[in-house]
Amino acid sequence: MATTYAVSAGGVANAVRLANKKLGEKQVPLMGILAAFVFATQMLNFPVAGGTSGHLIGAALVAILLGPWVAVLVMSCVLIAQSLIFQDGGLLALGANIFNMGIIAGFGAYYLYRLTGSLLGDNRRAKVVSGFIAAWGSVFLASIACAIELAVSGVLPIGVVLPAMAGVHALIGIGEGLITVAVLSLVLATRADLLKLQRI
Amino acid sequence: MKHGFLDQYSDRDSIIARLDPRAKFVTTLFFILAVVLTPPDSWLAYALYFALMATMLLLSRVPVFYVFKRSLVIMPFVLLVAIFIPFFKEGEVAGSYNIWLWQVSVTYSGLQVLWNILVKAWLSVLSLILLTSTTKLTQLLKGLEQLRLPKVMVMLLSFMYRYLFVLVDEVMRLKQARDSRNFGGRRLWQIRTIGNMIGTLFIRSYERGERVYAAMVARGFDGRSRTLDRLHFRRADACFAIGLSLVLVFISLFNLFY
Repeated sequence: MATTYAVSAGGVANAVRLANKKLGEKQVPLMGILAAFVFATQMLNFPVAGGTSGHLIGAALVAILLGPWVAVLVMSCVLIAQSLIFQDGGLLALGANIFNMGIIAGFGAYYLYRLTGSLLGDNRRAKVVSGFIAAWGSVFLASIACAIELAVSGVLPIGVVLPAMAGVHALIGIGEGLITVAVLSLVLATRADLLKLQRI
Repeated sequence: MKHGFLDQYSDRDSIIARLDPRAKFVTTLFFILAVVLTPPDSWLAYALYFALMATMLLLSRVPVFYVFKRSLVIMPFVLLVAIFIPFFKEGEVAGSYNIWLWQVSVTYSGLQVLWNILVKAWLSVLSLILLTSTTKLTQLLKGLEQLRLPKVMVMLLSFMYRYLFVLVDEVMRLKQARDSRNFGGRRLWQIRTIGNMIGTLFIRSYERGERVYAAMVARGFDGRSRTLDRLHFRRADACFAIGLSLVLVFISLFNLFY
C-alpha cells in the first residue's frame, strides 16, 4: 500500500510539474471538463453477457487523445472524486487505484498506441486497430498490476488471483476496446484535428 | 435538471457542518486508518467505532435513512471482491461443498477475514458519507488546497465539479434521443451506438472547454481562482480534531493491552 502510494504520488507530482510547464492555464478548464467527461461516460453502461453490465474506464481514450500525463492527471481527479464523493474505491486504496488505472493504464495505452501505430502506418484503419489494442491493453495491464498488488499484500496467493483477474479483464478489455474504437472513428470522421493535438 | 448525487445535504447547518473542512478531512483519514489497522477479533473496538460514528451522524442531522441507503450502495462491490477469500484461505474447514465438478471448502479463518473486510469497509464508507454530506465540495477543495494538494489538481477538481452536472444533462439528452429511436438489437450494434454517443459527448465537451476558457479569459482569468470566503481554523476545530484523535488512540491502546 505504502509503495503504491509513493509511486503514485511521484507520478502525479511529475504530471503536475509537466502540466505546469507545458500547458498554460488554457488547458486547465479543458482538462477539468474532460475529467467530468470521463465521469459522465462511466454512467453509460453497456450490456455484457449474463445480465451484467460494464462501462468505459476511459484512461486509454484520454491517453490516446491528449497524452499519458494528461491521462494520469485526469484519472487521478476522477478517482479522488469517486473515493470522496461516491465512497467508491476507498481512500486508502487511492494510491493503488491511481497507479493501476492512471499510470499503468494511461502509459500502457499510450505506448501501445504509438507502437502499433508506427508498425501499421498512418492511415485510418491503423489508428482504429491500434486504438483497440491500446484500450484492451490498458485494462489487461491494470488488472495484472492489481493482481500482483493483491498477491504481494498477502490477501490471496498469486497462482489464484493472477489468472482470475487477468482472465476476467481480458474479456472486459474487449468491451473497452470496441467502445474506444467507436469513439475514435467518430472523432476521426467529424473532427480529425482533435487527433493531432499536442500530447504530454 | 436537478442532480442530488453529489454532496447532498451539505448545505444543512449543524455542529459537524460548521467545523473546518481541514479538521474533518484529517480526522476522517485518521478514523479510516484506525479502523483498518484494528485486528479482526476485537469486537469491542468495532462497537466503539460504530458508536462514535453513530453519535457524529446524529449530531450532523443528516437523515439516517439516507446515510444507511447510501452506505449500502457500495457494499455489493466490496462483497464481490471479498467473496472468494473464504474459499482460498487455508485453515480449519468450516464446511465443504460439491459444486458441479469442483470440491470447494470454506474455512473459519477465511470467513473471519470476509466478515472483517465487510465491517471495515462499511465503517470507512460511513465516515466518508459523514464527511461529504456535511461539507460543501468547494469548501472541501479549499481545505485540500491548504493541505498542499497541488493547485492544478484543485483547479481540475473544481472544474470537474462545476461541469459534471452540465455533462450529465448532456448524457441524459443523448440517452433520451437514443431511446426514442428504438435502441436495441444486436450487441455489436449497441456498442457502436454507445461509442457514437461517447464520441459525440467528447467533441461537445472539448468544444465546451474551449468556449469556457474563452469566456473566462474575457473576464480576466489568469490561472488563479479568487473567492471571498476564507477558511478559519477556530479553537472548536482544533478541539474536535485533537479530541477525536485521542479517542481513536485510546481505543487502539485499549485494544492492544486487553
